[in-house]
Amino acid sequence: MRQYSEQLYWQIRRIVLTHEDANDVLQNTFLKAWNGLDGFHGDAKISTWLSRIAINESLDFLRRNKQQTVSTEETTVANSLMADNYFDGSEIEAQLQEAIASLPDVQRTVFQLRYFEEMKYSDMGQLLNTSEGSLKASYHIAVKKISEFFKSRD
Amino acid sequence: MNEEKYIEERVGKRNPFLVPDGYFDSFTDRMMQQLPERPVSVEPSRKGRKPALMVRMRPWLYAAACALVLVVSVWLWQSQPDTSVATQPAAQLAVQQEQTSDATFDEAADYMMIDNQDIYTYLAEN
Repeated sequence: MRQYSEQLYWQIRRIVLTHEDANDVLQNTFLKAWNGLDGFHGDAKISTWLSRIAINESLDFLRRNKQQTVSTEETTVANSLMADNYFDGSEIEAQLQEAIASLPDVQRTVFQLRYFEEMKYSDMGQLLNTSEGSLKASYHIAVKKISEFFKSRD
Repeated sequence: MNEEKYIEERVGKRNPFLVPDGYFDSFTDRMMQQLPERPVSVEPSRKGRKPALMVRMRPWLYAAACALVLVVSVWLWQSQPDTSVATQPAAQLAVQQEQTSDATFDEAADYMMIDNQDIYTYLAEN
């Protein structure tokens, strides 16, 4: 479990952003994996299977919370992060997180995995059950949007 | 990709997130305490739902089978020539009837696709 928990934690954290939420989602991930062991048929690596659960749990978490939170000028993603004790990034790093958070789920996920984890498209395809072509396209779009986000603030 | 490079140069790829000290070390222990001893199936439970139609119909099917057997036996008994009924010893007749009954019961059971297990189960429950 230790072997997988760190990698999974970061995949989750990059999506849900706060440590508290990442901790909750990570636990849910292992619970789901434990209870769903019957459904694992060895057709993928166990790490891939776990990552799949982790990412789905993270995105579900976001969807559930989206309905509750309303963004105001004070509670932008960047501001929330800068105020978070478990975030020690610069202002611009916080803004990058905000830009990523504004993307649709698929682009957001693909960007995280490619940009930060430098995951190969072939592995990503297995993980997200999507074609490499689609993933590359998603990444290109995400990159374009994010760079425009920064250029517009220059 | 120019745009990707632009972001890299502008922001970098550093991980800006922190975790509490010892978080990962203690995580495994904390998690193991939470996991139920045996995996809990996530499939919806069938408890409390009405048993399948066939199961509920079983008593009626057995009753129908018995009635059918009775009717057929009586019909067969009645359709036998009078002389053979009169001359055969009672025991032989009883065996014949039983054999006939068995055969027709088997036929009826086959027709209704009730196997022995179902019959044993029904008898055990009732």
